[in-house]
Amino acid sequence: MNKPASRRHVLTSLGSALAGVLSFSAARTAKAAVQNVLVSTPAPNRYRAAEHRWLMAIDIDRCIGCGLCAEACKTENQVPVGAYFRTWIERYIIKRPEPGSVQLRGDTVVDSPNGGMNGFPPSPVPREQILKAFYVPKLCNLCEHSPCSQACPVGATFDSPDGAVLVDPHYCIGCGFCIQACPYGCRFFNPLTKTADKCSLCYHRITRGLRPACVEVCPTEARIFGDLKNPVENDPLQQFVMKNKVQTLKPHLGTEPRVLYAGMDKEVR
Amino acid sequence: MRLFRMPPQIVRLVLLTVGIVTSYLIARFFLTPPSFGQYGFYRADALEEIASRQPVFAGRQSCDKNCHAKALETIAKGDHKTVSCESCHGNCHDHVEDRQVKVITHVTCTRCHEADPARSPFIKQIESKKHYSGERCTECHVPHQPSEVP
Repeated sequence: MNKPASRRHVLTSLGSALAGVLSFSAARTAKAAVQNVLVSTPAPNRYRAAEHRWLMAIDIDRCIGCGLCAEACKTENQVPVGAYFRTWIERYIIKRPEPGSVQLRGDTVVDSPNGGMNGFPPSPVPREQILKAFYVPKLCNLCEHSPCSQACPVGATFDSPDGAVLVDPHYCIGCGFCIQACPYGCRFFNPLTKTADKCSLCYHRITRGLRPACVEVCPTEARIFGDLKNPVENDPLQQFVMKNKVQTLKPHLGTEPRVLYAGMDKEVR
Repeated sequence: MRLFRMPPQIVRLVLLTVGIVTSYLIARFFLTPPSFGQYGFYRADALEEIASRQPVFAGRQSCDKNCHAKALETIAKGDHKTVSCESCHGNCHDHVEDRQVKVITHVTCTRCHEADPARSPFIKQIESKKHYSGERCTECHVPHQPSEVP
């Protein structure tokens, strides 16, 4: 009986011991206990993600640059003061072409002081030099092939079944890959939570049947929000697509952004 | 009789690899959250966690006819019918919870109506310095019914 154990014998016993441990009910109990400590699960609500498909559309002609949306977004989502925005407004000023130049339009000046959340100061370009000017609200483009979710190494950011692209704050390790991956600059590093942060379409509001804060306070209905799976009568999104010629931002990147823009000019990036 | 004897350093390497893989498998078994992979490569419980935050803005439907019937009726007829209560009056959450809390209106008319070349012409615009030298817009205009003069 003092025969030394063969390698095969040792490995087989190790393997079967492991299998035994893993299938043992005590292990399952221990697993549940470990996960109770590590993963918090709040009270569920009756919202079913698979039964919705949210979308926002922007009517650039209706945006007046009041910045109430950017201000409301900061309040609603407790975004820290400073250059951190889930949604913001850009002002595009296209100058008249230089006399003698064979151009239809001159340089473009883009500004967004404090994300536009306090309104805009008078134009930096004198009125007589302006060919045209307009405001463009920006937010998460809800990409079909979102580069941010693909870049995340830990599965902390994801495309939820209802169309929102969300960040799991408990899983995010703050590596910042997603912030670099987003071609629309829609992500930022939240210095309070130490995680990546972004527009969640006010997920805590839309799951309760409320509209996102920016849509709620927009005085001109420049932001149109709806549920593609549950269209209402005279659905605002359907009306918007019917009445306007719509575009998306940076379609050449293949991210398939879903947020629709109407009245967009070629200078908008 | 053995034809081939594995060198001891290889044996140690194999054992080390088996040890690492085993500890990885055990850690994965215990640490993967139960909802991970339910919808995709993420924790499905995160959806509920993100949704569980409390909304701040009360929403237009909170200002109902029981309290503000007259204001709602007036505003529905005028040019400001698309403007939500909280656009001008600000976040009304506390007021909806407790009627005693006063709403502080902080948004002024010029935020939307100051003349600006980037503003679409559909919205009426004024140069506030040339328009009126008095104190308040409400001396001449009714915010809930802009076409009306008091």
